[in-house]
Amino acid sequence: MRCMEESDDSIRRAVVSGDRDAYKVLVARYSQVVFRVAYRITGNESDAEEAVQETFLRSYQKLANFEGRSTMATWIYRIAANCALDIVSRRRPETRIGEENDPEQREVQLADNQAGPDRLLLSREIEARRQAAMSDLTPTEQTAFVLRHMEDRSTEEIAAALNIAPNAAKQAVFRAVQKLRRQLAPLWVNS
Amino acid sequence: MKHLNEAELIEHYYEESADTAERERHLKACPACAKSYAELRRDLDAVKPLAPPARGEGYGDQVWQSLRASLPVYEKPRRRTLSQFWQPLAWATACAMLVAVAFYAGRQWQRKQTPAVAVAVDPHARQRVVIVVLGDHLDRSERLLVALNHAGANDAWEATPLRSEARELLATNRLVRQSAIETGDLGAEASLDRLERLLVELANEPDGQSEADLNRLRQEMNTDGLLFDIRVLRSRVNSPAIELQGASNSTKGASI
Repeated sequence: MRCMEESDDSIRRAVVSGDRDAYKVLVARYSQVVFRVAYRITGNESDAEEAVQETFLRSYQKLANFEGRSTMATWIYRIAANCALDIVSRRRPETRIGEENDPEQREVQLADNQAGPDRLLLSREIEARRQAAMSDLTPTEQTAFVLRHMEDRSTEEIAAALNIAPNAAKQAVFRAVQKLRRQLAPLWVNS
Repeated sequence: MKHLNEAELIEHYYEESADTAERERHLKACPACAKSYAELRRDLDAVKPLAPPARGEGYGDQVWQSLRASLPVYEKPRRRTLSQFWQPLAWATACAMLVAVAFYAGRQWQRKQTPAVAVAVDPHARQRVVIVVLGDHLDRSERLLVALNHAGANDAWEATPLRSEARELLATNRLVRQSAIETGDLGAEASLDRLERLLVELANEPDGQSEADLNRLRQEMNTDGLLFDIRVLRSRVNSPAIELQGASNSTKGASI
């Protein structure tokens, strides 16, 4: 029976040597983090669950090639971000058809919410606008923004997770912020 | 004073700018930038991180249980024995030897084949080619002479086609005549010499010739007689007996 204190590297060696069950410790250790980042990127629970499964499956398959240039935590985190990004990319065409993306529908929602001056309603409106803005972002912009804004990851970490150049990662965050601000702008004018 | 752009303000918000202190000073000194930055902060602060639905303590176990069956067991890495170490080297050596043997065999085979190729050259082939070329040359010369003899001078005389044909025939005629000299065929050489002089005249004939000029050329060059000589030569070339004779004596290149 393996203990939770065992180092990531010794677990990796054990798994690669044929001890499949040793991997259970890594799954237990990182599943919460992986779920959190997957949920923030995908924006829904079932996609996040799928991303968790996919992340640990891919990590297991690539474990023998792990070279230790980064920590195991960072490595799994990158794979998680990538899996979530893949899911968002696959799902995006379907969500674009949804009524949340219909500009007219957005206007209707805004008109209703403008009636209520209360703080809770404003928060809801901001959340609705955030969701609308997120659906306007490309999967890469969305993932870059989540990693930067919600996960507090540096540009280098985002670039590594998305397999893009640091400057491209910075630009992706920049474009995401611009689109988000455009979406939120009417709120401040009307408030 | 240079204002901060939106990208720089975003960088500053996420504390990623290289000169944070300077930008901080600028924001204190510049009301316009301070206003822009305040608006940016208001927007970004409003976007709160999504709180994921709670997952219990046993979440890791759940994930593991759903995954375990689909994970193949890694094979234990086998220790390399001495024979396993030498095995790739032995293969590489064998391959190198095989290539060397194939190369050597190829060279030997090529060396044996080369004289056979030289012997295989048909001595009559060259002769036949010469006969064909000569026949073609005499045929074209005959047609040119016929055209010249029947050309009328009253504006029907078109010098250009005959002139260009004469220029083309001239080069071949020199080679054929040279060949006749080498083979000692003096009759053919004499006819080809006359033909060459006519071809030179025709090749350099100016435009606008009168009928008198044309008749003078025919008479001076005796084109009728020349035509007869060329026909005789052509009949000799086409004769199978002559061809056989030429084939039996490779030195008689032109077989005239």
